[in-house]
Amino acid sequence: MALDQAQPSRSWPRGALWRRLRWIVVPIVVVPLTAVLFTGFGRDPSVIPSPLIGKPMPSFSLTALDGHTVSSAELAGKPLIVNFWASWCAPCVQEHPVLLDTARRYGERVAIVGILYNDTAEGAAGFLARYGDGGWPDLLDPSGGTAVSFGVTGPPETFFVDASGVVRGKQFGPVTADVVTAQLAALGVKATP
Amino acid sequence: MIRRTAFTVGATALAALVVAVLVIWLRPSAPMSPAQQAAQLDAQLRCPDCQGLSVAESRTSAAAAIRSEVASRLAGGQSPDEVRAYFVSRYGEWILLEPSSVAWWLLPFAVIGLGAVALIAWLWVGRRRPAPPSAPVSPPAAGVAERVREEVEALDA
Repeated sequence: MALDQAQPSRSWPRGALWRRLRWIVVPIVVVPLTAVLFTGFGRDPSVIPSPLIGKPMPSFSLTALDGHTVSSAELAGKPLIVNFWASWCAPCVQEHPVLLDTARRYGERVAIVGILYNDTAEGAAGFLARYGDGGWPDLLDPSGGTAVSFGVTGPPETFFVDASGVVRGKQFGPVTADVVTAQLAALGVKATP
Repeated sequence: MIRRTAFTVGATALAALVVAVLVIWLRPSAPMSPAQQAAQLDAQLRCPDCQGLSVAESRTSAAAAIRSEVASRLAGGQSPDEVRAYFVSRYGEWILLEPSSVAWWLLPFAVIGLGAVALIAWLWVGRRRPAPPSAPVSPPAAGVAERVREEVEALDA
């Protein structure tokens, strides 16, 4: 006690000010920092929100593997799944059974179209022969211009488009049955039980 | 006197910096050829399947697709700003390697400025406010000082 009092009295009131302000300063700094780190770690940095959500689907007119020309206008009128894929893409192999199952479960109430990303007709035909052909059109996009118009960064990416042609959802990476069910339910279609 | 000189030098340096930035920003530039415009745009657009590269630097197919889209849009008569806006409308602001708004460039300076203001305010408050009067020191009770000295000497011994 006597030794404490022997210290020179401090003319610098930083200690007093800090003691008074720390209950304000600490939350102002710590709370936002914690919130940023907390949300930042839960988020996948490779997932970029698509600016196309809520906008009309980009139009296209491309040649299918069977030689027919398919345009986006022909696909309007019912909910549409636009799936960008490639035969060299491993997650596309993983999601392919989900798409086959989707075609089976939803039948004529939903249209599906595949758009090939940086792939050849031969490569795509080999993939379909090996993993199963769902019967929906697969379109070649040799310049990659359609993929660019959809803002595709790499396959697989899947867009869910409503009957009026407005993009309502986007899946980065392989779709799962749950994702398809939820996205199509949001478009007002239910699977056949 | 020294402080005033330092202030003058600092203010002059700051003014020179502002003028230099304005001159560089506003200087008239020669009209660019479509190839130059395309090269400049390619350097500003992010390659979607790379890590931190522009489409000009990358050889991936996605980068090639974006480069050909840039070239065909410029050839179709679109301005570089329109082409940039097209890619932002499809990929989002993410596709631009540099932020498009000037506000983002000013943000670090704004943060540093706010910090400086806060620091100055803190120091100013510290200087203005007198130290709280320390509690009156009561003389140690009789004999305490002697006892302390004896104990310290006992420890030293």
